[in-house]
Amino acid sequence: MNTRSDFGGKARRYAILTVVSAILCAPLVFVVSIALSSDATTKAMKFTFLPGEWHWENFIQVFSSGLPIGRFILNSLIIVIPACIFMTFSSALVAYGFARLHAPGKNILFILVLSTMMIPGQVLMIPQFILFRTLGWINTLLPMIVPNLFANAYNVFLMRQFITRIPTELDEAAEIDGLGYFRIFTRIILPMMVPVLAAVCVFTFSSNWGSFFGPLLYINDEDKMPLALGLQVLSSQSSSVQTPPWNMIMVGALILILPVLIVYYFAQRYLYESGMFAGSAGIK
Amino acid sequence: MSISASIGRRHRGSRRGMKRSTRETLFFYVCISPWIIGFVVFTAVPMFSSLYLSFTDWDSFQKPNWVGLGNYAKALTADPLFWKVLRNTFYYAIVSVPVSLLIALYLSNLLSHDFRGKRIYRTIIYLPSLVPLVAAGLIFKWLLKPEDGPVNALLGLFGIKGPAWLLDANWVIPAIILLSIWQVGGGTILLISAINGVPKELYEAAEIDGAGHYRLFWSITFPMITPILFFNLVTGIIGAFQVFDQVYILTQGGPDNASQMMVPYIYTSAFKDFHMGYASALAWILFVIIMVISAAVLKSSDAWVFYESEVKK
Repeated sequence: MNTRSDFGGKARRYAILTVVSAILCAPLVFVVSIALSSDATTKAMKFTFLPGEWHWENFIQVFSSGLPIGRFILNSLIIVIPACIFMTFSSALVAYGFARLHAPGKNILFILVLSTMMIPGQVLMIPQFILFRTLGWINTLLPMIVPNLFANAYNVFLMRQFITRIPTELDEAAEIDGLGYFRIFTRIILPMMVPVLAAVCVFTFSSNWGSFFGPLLYINDEDKMPLALGLQVLSSQSSSVQTPPWNMIMVGALILILPVLIVYYFAQRYLYESGMFAGSAGIK
Repeated sequence: MSISASIGRRHRGSRRGMKRSTRETLFFYVCISPWIIGFVVFTAVPMFSSLYLSFTDWDSFQKPNWVGLGNYAKALTADPLFWKVLRNTFYYAIVSVPVSLLIALYLSNLLSHDFRGKRIYRTIIYLPSLVPLVAAGLIFKWLLKPEDGPVNALLGLFGIKGPAWLLDANWVIPAIILLSIWQVGGGTILLISAINGVPKELYEAAEIDGAGHYRLFWSITFPMITPILFFNLVTGIIGAFQVFDQVYILTQGGPDNASQMMVPYIYTSAFKDFHMGYASALAWILFVIIMVISAAVLKSSDAWVFYESEVKK
């Protein structure tokens, strides 16, 4: 491939990719620039596109500025942590059932699992709202937490596909050793599922960490808001006398963005191994 | 089934005094109980209630009144806003999905080759798609400010007077489309792994025959990755019809409903105007539209999606 004609192609590829990367990166550079601006710059709304000031202390001040951003983060964690743990393990258990056990009605139930993936959330949102209102869960974090404790169809599907690729000889050997189904699951299957467990955990984290719609529907009080909703509310409280503290809001936006980037960075190996990228080819 | 396994089964079956198949069935239902509970409580019951509510006139406080097909008739014949919202949603979906897909295809083709710095470019292009929509919305609200926003400042450098974007009825949907294009990296990564999955022998054989870059792409890469392109197209359309966060944060549907779309409209009808019955009917109309479009794309796929298994037959 190292012919002379290829050189022109290479230079052009670098040029195009550099321009595209610059354009895609630019909004994030601007966010960093606003987040590092002083309060005076923020009041005057004189932000520069590239960072001109370096007020790193903003990242500490955000917790002592009187804005409830620390509280927002805590609320987000209260939603995300149980979701990650319970969603991952309940989905794994359901997936194990569908992948390895035989029972009457299994196939029909699996078709039901697949078909629920197609139901848009909007169809369910009004009755769910009524349900949570009847339970007295409005203005609590429970409507964001409880539905995430139960296995969801997409994760079950992804995990089932993964388990079917694990050789059944392992289960059979364990069965001869006298292990019951539950211990086969916890001792044999679960340890081999690490990549897909990590992948589901990452999805659950990133979709709940930034989730906006649920909190918008259920939360009224500022001190109960998770980060995404809280930032939106802070940013839209502008009036003629007072502008929103944009530097602090963008610090908050970076706190919303960074954990997702970090989690994906460290989990990328698992995401590939879980067959998530190749998996889409399987849907034909 | 291996002999040792069946011996093991018989052995355990006799030990516990319960037939193996009964125990297995029982344990299967124990395993899937988390899904069954979630399905019944959060999907099945809400789905039927929502269908029922769509035939009623309900403000969520009084008793619902049965109005038959009244809500559906109202949406289709007596609510001019419904048609505007529907047109906006179609506009958004029909432009943003194919444009994003074409850009993702072009970028993935550039990025699938081996070259120095490949990983850095991939990472940068993937980054925006990981940014939570709320953060992305806040960022774009800033970028697209009419007077002093960076986008219009940049256009100004080229002597173009930028539009008022989110405040201009003609430019507000293109602005929301820009945000979706910014997050093109997710689709690009999927397509890169699809291209890398194409057997190398195919390219080697074609190169010996003297095929150039364009020929290699259109005769080998493109047909081999059509299943994944197709998957991205279907999921992209479904996602685009359900757009909410971007619209709510950037414009709340404004100016003058120029960017109002189906889901924000359902949200407003249900939780601002408390027309729960009407909103339920709107949700079901959206559901049917999504199903019809997905089915149409699925049907048309026979004509242009190439599956490897068809060759192996």
